Amino acid sequence: MVSQHGILYAVHLITNQFGNLVAKVCECLLRNGALTLQAIVRRTELSPAKVRNCLLVLIQHNCAQAFILEESVSGEDAGEPGKALTQYIALFVNILHRVRFSKFMDVVSKELGGSCGELFRGLLEHGRLTVKQIVDRAGANAKESTNTVQEDLGKLVMAHYVECCPAPEPLVPPPDADTKKRAKSSKVMVEPLTLEQRVMAVAMPSAMRRFSFVPNADQVADDQQNVNQPPSKDVGEKRKLHDLESDTALEEEVECNWRANFEELLRRLRHKTCVDTIKVRFDDAAATVLSAMLEASRAEEDKVKTANSVPLSLNTIYEEVVKNEKNHSMTFDHVRTCLEELSCPPTFVKTDDESYSIDFTKITEAAQSEEIESIVLKRFGETAYKIFRLLFRAGCLMETDKIADRIFAEKKETSKTLFKMWQDGYLLMEKLVVGGTTTGPSYGGSSYLLWKVNKRLLRETILDEMFHAALNLNLRLAHEIDQNKEVLNLPPDKREGPDKQKFDRLRNVRLLIHSSLMKLDDAIMLFHDF
Amino acid sequence: MSRLQSPSALKRKRPDSNSQGMTDQESVVYKLIHEKENMGIWVRDIKRSSNLQDTIVNKSIKTLLDKGMIKEVINVQNKTRKTYLAAEFEPSPELTGGAWYDDGNLDVDFINAVKKLCSQKIKQLKVATVESVMDSVKASGAFKADLKKNHFEEIFGALVLDNEVMEVESNGMGEFAGIKVGKVCYKAIGKRRVGAAAAAAAAAEPRIGAMASIPCGVCPRISSCTPDGVISPGTCVYYQKWLDF
Repeated sequence: MVSQHGILYAVHLITNQFGNLVAKVCECLLRNGALTLQAIVRRTELSPAKVRNCLLVLIQHNCAQAFILEESVSGEDAGEPGKALTQYIALFVNILHRVRFSKFMDVVSKELGGSCGELFRGLLEHGRLTVKQIVDRAGANAKESTNTVQEDLGKLVMAHYVECCPAPEPLVPPPDADTKKRAKSSKVMVEPLTLEQRVMAVAMPSAMRRFSFVPNADQVADDQQNVNQPPSKDVGEKRKLHDLESDTALEEEVECNWRANFEELLRRLRHKTCVDTIKVRFDDAAATVLSAMLEASRAEEDKVKTANSVPLSLNTIYEEVVKNEKNHSMTFDHVRTCLEELSCPPTFVKTDDESYSIDFTKITEAAQSEEIESIVLKRFGETAYKIFRLLFRAGCLMETDKIADRIFAEKKETSKTLFKMWQDGYLLMEKLVVGGTTTGPSYGGSSYLLWKVNKRLLRETILDEMFHAALNLNLRLAHEIDQNKEVLNLPPDKREGPDKQKFDRLRNVRLLIHSSLMKLDDAIMLFHDF
Repeated sequence: MSRLQSPSALKRKRPDSNSQGMTDQESVVYKLIHEKENMGIWVRDIKRSSNLQDTIVNKSIKTLLDKGMIKEVINVQNKTRKTYLAAEFEPSPELTGGAWYDDGNLDVDFINAVKKLCSQKIKQLKVATVESVMDSVKASGAFKADLKKNHFEEIFGALVLDNEVMEVESNGMGEFAGIKVGKVCYKAIGKRRVGAAAAAAAAAEPRIGAMASIPCGVCPRISSCTPDGVISPGTCVYYQKWLDF
């Protein structure tokens, strides 16, 4: 369930990029879950044609997905009994990814070079493209030859940064069958998948098809399709999908639209965060060793939120470390020492019979704790910081006086701070009455206040505040630009004196807000995606 | 009373006083206080247990204080309660708050001094146990107070909460060689850089998180903030200050 400010933030992003109409449809889906076209029309009071166009834009840019539920439809949208209706669901995670394009570009360009980066940029801008569209775009922009473009696309697909798009309207089975199957094979309690997860699990092509690119095969398919269909729009303009209800059999079998694989990119960003966390807590050598372990185990990782990496031997890790020229001076013993340090509690690296694996969960939790503690320290002060660390580590209810004793603070100050943190949702409070009657301590009993950090609820609170803060940063930037639009409209040679000062200030404001947004987005990923 | 009196006017011993010069009521009050030894007794409890009138109890307490037979102590658990002890007893740690309290108040300077010294010892030892630091501190003679092992454990706990040291478990190898496996140890927190990098790291500000470095992250009014409300990003005074270069 997306939080209130998560929805507001997502709607703001869509508004900025696609306009109010598309944002209205998106908001309708985010607030109401999956809806049919008729239901969206009813709720938004827009015409069916407008809603359809908005959905096409959202789907083209991977912010929504169409699907059909296998079970028979009932309720307000019931048509003929057993007739399946197409529903649409907003993909909140993909909407958030839209602010991360520069980070994704950075990852791809660093690993695969400028031309792959440029091709990848096109996919981010347009949402999804066929091979012909990719080739045409590259030819128009950089005069690249078809072979070069196809080679670059092949590299991107091989690295899993680009994937074949999901099926346009997959048939989604009922949840019971799916959950039972997973519960049977798993020995632990299985959390039910959300509707969004179920839809995407069915929509995604098989692993082979998803990352299978054959140069020139798609070109042939495109040519065949073009014979049957009207010509597409000019390359370079944002595109919408063709009629969803047209005959898609040929498309499904032959043509593949390609898009950025956000999963792989998110995994890379998660790795980067882990390395940065280790660098701060330990040193560069430990970060180098961790980085090598991530590189060596990368191919085996199959999902973003993997708990542990595959076990690696010391030899494998050392070989990976020294592959990089910069690390040639690192000795085998130094690598072993780093691993031993990383294996000490809180055990970021687990050891098992001479093999080592990364505990992603521990590293992520450590980074999250650091972020929360930073907020608590700045918002509530040093006493609150100590109280929070005490209760977070204790994981159980603690009485006020006991807390005051442990942190060496006066009881009155401790009590005041606890109440402030409780009011802002950072702590849970319970009242315990001992002795007397239930009507109160005045009848002979004593009452005690007990405090606790509920980690799950706290992370949700913090995440919602982060979405709120991200929205506010965007709104403030828009406000600043609006307040200074006259200065922005002045030609550069006319900016003098106070106007130049205003212009310079606005430039600094933009830089500060943009960098804060990027940093905040890293924190959002830490709490939402990792 | 005048010290010049005729023999016939010599004051006879009052029939209701005992050999220590206490009246019966004073004796009752003193007995209740004495029974509690070093735990002390609240004046309201004296009144309840003695069944004497409040004025008599108050008068008796005043007399016993004047005679030096009892003393008033501050109960750190409840500073407003008048608590009394027989003169020969020292108040218990539950009353005084123990080593960390002075006259009923938390002795912040003393606590900070002990914390600072322990932190230095941990840094020197690289990997320290409670016992090793305790022995080192006692050997230095830095403090007159007789601090026990539990006091040092409390201090170490506070240093962990301050994020100055971290608690680890010995695995008996490497830097833990010589320390029993499973023994709780402490290490100073800080990057292991050398030379110029170490100096730079030491001088640097502590790392601030992403949320804490923007106005919204530490705003006490964030729950009231809305895009078009009275409190909004456009009208926010914290933003105004933050963007005032």
